[in-house]
Amino acid sequence: MDPDAVAKAFVEHYYSTFDTNRSTLSNLYQDSSMLTFEGQKIQGSTNIVAKLTSLPFQQCKHSITTVDCQPSGPSGGMLVFVSGNLQLAGEQHALKFSQMFHLMPTTQSSFYVLNDIFRLNYA
Amino acid sequence: MYKLQEEMEEQVEMVGRAFVEHYYHLFDTDRSSLASLYHQSSMLTFEGQKLQGVDDICAKINQLPFDKCHHFISTIDTQPSSFAGGITVFVSGSLRLMCEEHPLRFSQMFHLIPTPQGSFYVQNDIFRLNYG
Repeated sequence: MDPDAVAKAFVEHYYSTFDTNRSTLSNLYQDSSMLTFEGQKIQGSTNIVAKLTSLPFQQCKHSITTVDCQPSGPSGGMLVFVSGNLQLAGEQHALKFSQMFHLMPTTQSSFYVLNDIFRLNYA
Repeated sequence: MYKLQEEMEEQVEMVGRAFVEHYYHLFDTDRSSLASLYHQSSMLTFEGQKLQGVDDICAKINQLPFDKCHHFISTIDTQPSSFAGGITVFVSGSLRLMCEEHPLRFSQMFHLIPTPQGSFYVQNDIFRLNYG
């Protein structure tokens, strides 16, 4: 499958899961996964999902502006670089963000997130 | 066990920061010497345009339509990637071009791979401007 198509499919799946059923993001992380969220470092699926489900907003919607991807090396990994907007319910203005994922293949022909770095883009 | 992990994290962070400072210093003062940081296998995606290999990457960077520029770095985040000793670095900042009134905001991601000489090269590089 075309890597760009794989990256796009992953991104769509990730953000629609985030926006509709945030706790099931645990399927996309493993014990070795790392998240840096606005500078805070978190390791492992349980801690990562705890952080994401405890963010101070209930409803949100990610709108994706750009998706770039590159293979990361011989292990079959893929780097995905996303920019977009995050609209929180009740907020007038959307927040701009950038996010980087390093996806690694699973034995079930899927991907999990090994590295995840999220930053808001302030004006 | 935790102490070792903390030390490793600090090491990764130090390497990431040192690399970023070096990279943008070269970019801003001696752009053609960035060739030392890329290999034949390196990939750059610059505002959506895909380039591969040190020659094409440096040609692109050297041809960018400005002579002088200065990168100001706001944030640097680092994590070890799985590739033995590899490091992912995520940078945000602003890029000031001479003769332009307003700086451009950007985000950039590097995947650094260790060299046998104890240094790092850029295997993956993705650059995007952040429009307001």
